[in-house]
Amino acid sequence: MPAADPFDNDVIDRAAGLAPGDALHAARRFRAKVVEATQASHDALLEQPVDGLSTADRLRVAAHVCAIARAATLAKHYEARLAAHPDRDAAPSPALAAMLVFGAALTTDPRQGDRAAIDALRRAGLRDPAIVALAQLIAFLSYQLRVVAGLQAMRASRTGTP
Amino acid sequence: MIRRNGFTDETLEWRSWLEPLALDDASALQLEVLDESHAQSRTSPYYLTLAHQPLMLRHRSAAYNAIMYAPGGLPRAERELGAMVVSVANGCVYCTSVHAQRFEQLARRSDTVEQVFDDPASAGTTDRERAIARFAIAVTERPDTLRADDIAPLRAVGMSEEEIIDLLHAVAIFGWANRLMQNLGEPAGATTS
Repeated sequence: MPAADPFDNDVIDRAAGLAPGDALHAARRFRAKVVEATQASHDALLEQPVDGLSTADRLRVAAHVCAIARAATLAKHYEARLAAHPDRDAAPSPALAAMLVFGAALTTDPRQGDRAAIDALRRAGLRDPAIVALAQLIAFLSYQLRVVAGLQAMRASRTGTP
Repeated sequence: MIRRNGFTDETLEWRSWLEPLALDDASALQLEVLDESHAQSRTSPYYLTLAHQPLMLRHRSAAYNAIMYAPGGLPRAERELGAMVVSVANGCVYCTSVHAQRFEQLARRSDTVEQVFDDPASAGTTDRERAIARFAIAVTERPDTLRADDIAPLRAVGMSEEEIIDLLHAVAIFGWANRLMQNLGEPAGATTS
């Protein structure tokens, strides 16, 4: 029998190490709507069907972006989702390289955004609705990894770690 | 009107580099999500661009609106201060103009806005504002090395756990909002009002 899982299915709680019953887990529920909408964003960004943008490629982009940002627990989360995905062994999109470049640039310095980056995605075969989905995913990850980092710092500050 | 260092609190337009959704082509779901996202979204190139993915926009708007507008917790002017500091640090001229205006409306003053435009990392007219600005910069620029020492100054100026969570959300979601504004289009000239 597997050991009891102390966490619920909220990705941010898991990545920040907040289990139900922890004071900070409870404090986060002060904004229950934010918690719900954040998890629903994560789910929609990965799973809503988008022409030309598979869930497996989205997971590859997410794992790459989190690794670049040194968001270790989130990178593990997306790698594990990819490893468990039925399409994990299917060939990635020919546009994946362009997606990873876009994701890395957007994550490390939002000032790098320009029209040429959008045109590169179009040339790689992405249509505008797929570009919107990809940009939303990458921009969301910048939010998600900062919430996790902030909660981890708050957790350390409660336990007296500097 | 404040213009400094490439930033302004004037009302700007925003132009999409993608093809915004044409209202005539919008599905019932797209119209519903546009209307629940923002009062003027049917005429906004930004929302019409994001409406290509209505369910992604729906959950983003739910998170954004709860973070920036929900009652209680951190005073709204301070959420706007966090949003403005992040927008300047990220170089998002459009977002900065919107949230400088909101801060001015809620706080009924603009001294802090001038300071943020000049140097967001040292901005603030009180210890509490300075702690908020410094935290917003830390979360924006070095999320990978955030630690308890970054939380202590917020507690020292009297912020509760719930207020710190509100600030963290407001600051983090501008990591999201700025990246959309800066990577799907660009600010256009000021509208004459």
